[in-house]
Amino acid sequence: MSKGEAFDMDSNSANSTSTPVLEGIGLTKVYDMGEVKIRALKGVDIQILPGDFTTIVGKSGSGKSTLMHIMGLLDTPTEGQVVLHGKDTTQYSSAELARVRNKEIGFVFQSFNLLARTSTLDNVILPLKYSNTPKAQWEKKATDVLKRVGLGDRLQNKSNELSGGQKQRVAIARALVNDPAIILADEPTGNLDSKTGESIEQLLIDLNKEGKTIIIVTHDEDLARITPKKVTLHDGLIVS
Amino acid sequence: MNIPEAFRSALRSLFSNKIRTFLTMLGVIIGVFAVVALVSLVEGIENYIVDRFNAIGSNLIIVAPGNAGFAQDPAISFTKKTLEEKHVDLLRKELGGLVPGVTPSIRLIKKASYRAETHPAIITAANWEAADLFSVDIVEGRFYTKAEVINKDYVVLLAPAVKEDLFGDADALGKKVKIGSKQFTVIGLTGNESGQSNERAFMPYTTAQEVFDVDSITNILTKAKSPDTIDQVATEIEHILVQELDPNDFTVISQSDILASIGDILDVLSIVLVAIAGISLVVGGIGIMNIMLVTVNERIREIGLRKALGATRIDIAGQFFIESVLISLIGGLFGLLVSWFLTLGIRSVLRAEITPWAIALSLGFSFLVGAVFGTYPAVKAAKKDPIEALRHE
Repeated sequence: MSKGEAFDMDSNSANSTSTPVLEGIGLTKVYDMGEVKIRALKGVDIQILPGDFTTIVGKSGSGKSTLMHIMGLLDTPTEGQVVLHGKDTTQYSSAELARVRNKEIGFVFQSFNLLARTSTLDNVILPLKYSNTPKAQWEKKATDVLKRVGLGDRLQNKSNELSGGQKQRVAIARALVNDPAIILADEPTGNLDSKTGESIEQLLIDLNKEGKTIIIVTHDEDLARITPKKVTLHDGLIVS
Repeated sequence: MNIPEAFRSALRSLFSNKIRTFLTMLGVIIGVFAVVALVSLVEGIENYIVDRFNAIGSNLIIVAPGNAGFAQDPAISFTKKTLEEKHVDLLRKELGGLVPGVTPSIRLIKKASYRAETHPAIITAANWEAADLFSVDIVEGRFYTKAEVINKDYVVLLAPAVKEDLFGDADALGKKVKIGSKQFTVIGLTGNESGQSNERAFMPYTTAQEVFDVDSITNILTKAKSPDTIDQVATEIEHILVQELDPNDFTVISQSDILASIGDILDVLSIVLVAIAGISLVVGGIGIMNIMLVTVNERIREIGLRKALGATRIDIAGQFFIESVLISLIGGLFGLLVSWFLTLGIRSVLRAEITPWAIALSLGFSFLVGAVFGTYPAVKAAKKDPIEALRHE
């Protein structure tokens, strides 16, 4: 991301008075590699409001993935706190964190991370298995979200029989199936050609319009340009 | 943790790599097979011994000379010469209706010959009551009489092997057989009796004493009328004989004593064999742990993903733990099946049996092996950091 580029940072004013759904306060992350200590985050404050569509951009090594993982409660900060729905998550047990990841946050990964040799439907059912959703509802819920992402006719296909775009749609359906408030996507279009990538971006934009709070780590400047809120990280700090 | 789901997931994972699963199971299969097969073999040997003893007549009570318990040197009963005819008479008089009869018994091995044929025979010399006490099966001719015992007549009954070797198919009844230096008239032939030697030659003990120049008797035999009175009769015999003999000069042995001693010996044998076979189960368990560790490493991204999607540590640990226990338990079942086939195979020779405790023991052990050796890989999987796991290539 070159310096001096102009971004419209004020287009999110509709939500500016709400309570943040997700907030990072003074986040630092130090990786202790023995003799060398790598400071991936150096005190980041970030607020995500309900209904936000936020892109996090930055060069590789800027700390954007680390920030994403910490905000998604997949990782813990060395210092600072992540506040979800107004609650500090610092003292959460690993079981509580697992429950939050299951119910409150949907993850979409660059490399899809679907279970191999497993049907589309079963991949989407996976988060339901760790929720308290009755088994009788699993198939219906998974089918519904797969229809929502346009894969209603691919329920029984194995993950290796799908195209890249379809795989990412399955991954998005999986992120949606427990109806979380927040979707975290780490370079969701990074492994896709630009046309397919655009359709995935459009899907995420549509989901945002339906009320989901979406945070995307991306390299895609076009996407970053049109999103209402953009956070640029450089060397572990938010620069814009 | 959703346990039915964890089972389904574990089974799916086991089926997705059938050859590896089978090879991992093989250790447990062999271990359980070894344990169960050895236990059932020992069981078969015990059955065999009990069967043979029962064929002799399970209510038999033996008075042996010397303080010779079953577990002691059996040679004592041949070398000590404390039992005499008067003890037989005393027992007969005192026991009265408690027993069907009392007989002295002398056993010797002598050559029997007819014309050019010679065969070593186990001389089983007793009185006229022995036919009943020994449950002798007479297929031809008759047993010797009280008169023949008193007269020390040279009469003999031959068991099948002796008759076969000396006479072949020819008729033996009435023929003269040379035993020791004397000619004996064959008055009867006995049948094949399971649990008994086919090399025996029956004759009056009085005749044997005279011909072979023995004045003592090997032991005194009697029989309780039912299994319930064995102990009573045995105690009674001790009371009676103490009047005449030093308690160290005789031993009353019932078959239940002998069987109990054999049972004890076989139990120890069984435990030793199971312990040795158990080692292969432990080796099987190490194989499971090894493969489970490989599996955890292979599925590290999947573990990361599951954690990201909301799996708790217990969910992850449970999944791998159940997988390991299932490998081991299914292996145990296969092992049982293989040993069951083996047992069927050797049924014609030995009444081998898979006892419920062998089944419980082997399945219990396979569960334990799976649980013990599955715990470390399961805990290792559960502790994986989701981020590192997801980054794993």
